[in-house]
Amino acid sequence: MNEIKELLWELKNVTKVFPGVKAINNLSLKIYSSEVHGMIGENGSGKSTIVKCLSGVYQPTSGKIFYRGNPIVIHNPMMACSLGVATIYQELSLVPSLTVAENIYIGRLPRKERFPFIVDWQEIVKKSLVILKKLGIDLDPLNIVADLSIAQQQMVEIAKALSRNANLIIMDEPSAAIGMEETKRLHEIVLNMAMQGYGIIYITHRLDELSVMDCVTVLKDGEVVGDRAKGRINVKEIVNLMIGHDVKEHYPKQINQTNDTLLTVSDIYTKKGINGVSFTVHQGEVFGLAGSIGSGRTEIGHAIFGIDDITDGSIKLQNCQVVMTKDKFTTPREAIKCGVALLTENRKYNGLFMNFNGVNNVSIAKLKKIVHRGILDLNKEEIFAKEYIDKLKITPTAVEQSVEFLSGGNQQKVIIARWMFCEANIFILDEPTQGIDIGAKVEVYRLINDITSHGKGVIFISSDFEELLAMSDRIGIVNKGKIIAVKEVKNINKKYLIEKAFVNQV
Amino acid sequence: MKNNMLNIKKRKAPSYIGPLIALIIVIIIVGLTTDRFFTPGNLRNLMLQVSIVSLVAIGSTLVIIAGGIDLSPGSAIALLTMILASMIKFLGISAPFAIILIVIMGALLGFWNGVLTAHLRIPSFVTTLASMTIFRGFAFLFNNGSPIFSISDTLTEIFYGKILGIPYVFFYVFFFFILFSLIMRYTELGREIYAVGGNAAAARFSGINVKKTVVMSFIFAGVMASFGSVLMAARLNSGSPNYGVGMELSAIAAAVVGGASLGGGKGDIIATFFGASIITIVHNGLNLHAMPTSVQNIVIGMIIIFAVFIDMWRRELGDIFSRLISRRTKS
Ligand SMILES: Nc1ncnc2c1ncn2[C@@H]1O[C@H](COP(=O)(O)OP(=O)(O)OP(=O)(O)O)[C@@H](O)[C@H]1O
Ligand SMILES: [Mg+2]
Repeated sequence: MNEIKELLWELKNVTKVFPGVKAINNLSLKIYSSEVHGMIGENGSGKSTIVKCLSGVYQPTSGKIFYRGNPIVIHNPMMACSLGVATIYQELSLVPSLTVAENIYIGRLPRKERFPFIVDWQEIVKKSLVILKKLGIDLDPLNIVADLSIAQQQMVEIAKALSRNANLIIMDEPSAAIGMEETKRLHEIVLNMAMQGYGIIYITHRLDELSVMDCVTVLKDGEVVGDRAKGRINVKEIVNLMIGHDVKEHYPKQINQTNDTLLTVSDIYTKKGINGVSFTVHQGEVFGLAGSIGSGRTEIGHAIFGIDDITDGSIKLQNCQVVMTKDKFTTPREAIKCGVALLTENRKYNGLFMNFNGVNNVSIAKLKKIVHRGILDLNKEEIFAKEYIDKLKITPTAVEQSVEFLSGGNQQKVIIARWMFCEANIFILDEPTQGIDIGAKVEVYRLINDITSHGKGVIFISSDFEELLAMSDRIGIVNKGKIIAVKEVKNINKKYLIEKAFVNQV
Repeated sequence: MKNNMLNIKKRKAPSYIGPLIALIIVIIIVGLTTDRFFTPGNLRNLMLQVSIVSLVAIGSTLVIIAGGIDLSPGSAIALLTMILASMIKFLGISAPFAIILIVIMGALLGFWNGVLTAHLRIPSFVTTLASMTIFRGFAFLFNNGSPIFSISDTLTEIFYGKILGIPYVFFYVFFFFILFSLIMRYTELGREIYAVGGNAAAARFSGINVKKTVVMSFIFAGVMASFGSVLMAARLNSGSPNYGVGMELSAIAAAVVGGASLGGGKGDIIATFFGASIITIVHNGLNLHAMPTSVQNIVIGMIIIFAVFIDMWRRELGDIFSRLISRRTKS
């Protein structure tokens, strides 16, 4: 055990300017070994930019960086790596077709002593096992990475970092894309690593994660507005520092539920593992889907939206302007025409168009709305899209800038804006608050209220059972491709959801 | 957030500005180093030279923006000139009617490429590489593989004709570049082509018919190749299975020099015209300096690399540039 905390990195008066925006402003920060350094702040407050300055992706516009007391310029990511900085970005960088062991040692495969041109496979597996064990991760080094869950892939990333003799591990929103159980596991590993002497930077939007942090830096508009050590971390105060005011109501739930059916899903099956799912959504209702990752909750959304083919069973949508030719949608195009919207959980992969600015990203799913006699009315497009950009409090740079350069939270809001723009009747929201700050979360909840108050329906998928319970009217519990129970929220609690969602799971 | 926004209020410059500046620089250099460049004869000659490749390059650009690549237009041109020549000369079909048929055939060739690519999910590099061989193979089936000369004198008029001293080809080029740049900017299809090239998965989740969009981009490419073939046949008053060799590469080069990204989702029709012009004028300039073809090829190759380099490192170069300026203003 290593109890002595050493100063690893120090930022002094660092500023980073991007065209039109000061991402971090005259910021000073100290990073020690053997501790979990939390970083928290609104979307666009500069957290990822700090990380990228430390990992050699960006060069600070001004200011100095010190490594163990010596001034240093980190020219590129390779140099950061050799200085012991390992960064685990939200988009993981593993090679899916290779095994766990190969990924850990990629680029530095150990060779046989006597034949240095031959890779020593036994050695790789042995060494990988040692590292995985050290972390307390139960994974077969010979598994193919593509078959692992996101959470497991994250573990492999951590193992890879350790194998490179990193001393500082930076995790940018590691918990955003994983479930509750996995997050718990991740916390154990993070604490274990801090005990072994590693420095850890842990970025998150989830206040329930403050407990893993030894100290937390609160950022606002690219500046440090607060530094708190363990024991002095007070959730309410931190929220106040972060967004500049109290959040009175974390969950401003409005009840708009009616008895008029909007969507009926009857006993559907798909090849992606949905085995007989039935439920209804009423006008003005938020129907929650609770389940672990891989339980089939995302696939239910995909089936309704026409992504996965429904092999048996049917879907019926009331209030549909277009006549449904079949009792299911065969393409997303049909689903959108009938007023169905799907916010996917992986915005980088199947949400964002990085070659478009914010406005074009908002309008793309319903260009018909801005077509006049076969011609796109670009002025109308900008006016309409801006309306939603303002309404969702998206940064104004999103109007002209490629969404590639927006912070994660703003990107998420751009996609929400896309579906609001479509004026859908039923919104399937798959992890809509993933990676967005507390203020923005409340915005999303208000948007959900706004949707339901107009008699529209929401299917709400979330790994955060607290928000699910707070914002839903009824919840269906998904387990192994089936809905095993549907309950009014007032009759259940978090404990019940966890029990039901995680039974029979390995 | 607000105090963070530096008050930079500038509209993004259109994406053809870079290539336009490059074109102007090239014109200035060639104009200053040679005395014959600005003669009416040379300028007219340039226009005739750039016309065919630039029209074909419109199609290549569309395919590239949609995330694919088209290696077949050169061979398509050979095949279509042979068919056009046969129709007019051997079957006695009138030129206008034959041209209409050729354009339809061009669309069909593009459709073939598009369907193979989109529906069989074969990468377009492979499908169009196959088509490149197949189309040229078919071209050799006509007239026992020999060129067909002196098709008809009315045909040559299409290429060499003039109105008020301006060659017809000027109007063709003008028309098609304006048309396609409007299509790409102001129609649903144009926007969808950009979307599919940018992120095909996201396009599907946004309700775009990805396959149809890809097929359409190839059909446009086929149609533009057919216009290229008509001009080619008219220019040389002949059809030959050996026409259009290397045309696909020149067209792709024009698109790339114009800033289109082979990763898809990025490109500009007008910029492609500037790209084609840059390449043609550099050739012309080297010709005026009596440089051999070997040197010309090497120079063009370097230009392609340079263009892609500028494009890839644009942001970093901008960074260095602004740092230099700020240092200058500080001291
Ligand atoms: N490459 C870039 N070019 C232009 N602007 C950028 C770039 N990277 C970041 N920004 C801007 O800098 C600001 C800070 O962004 P950053 O990604 O650091 O925020 P963040 O705190 O990580 O937010 P989130 O919680 O949403 O991930 C944002 O306003 C963002 O738009
Ligand atoms: Mg971030």
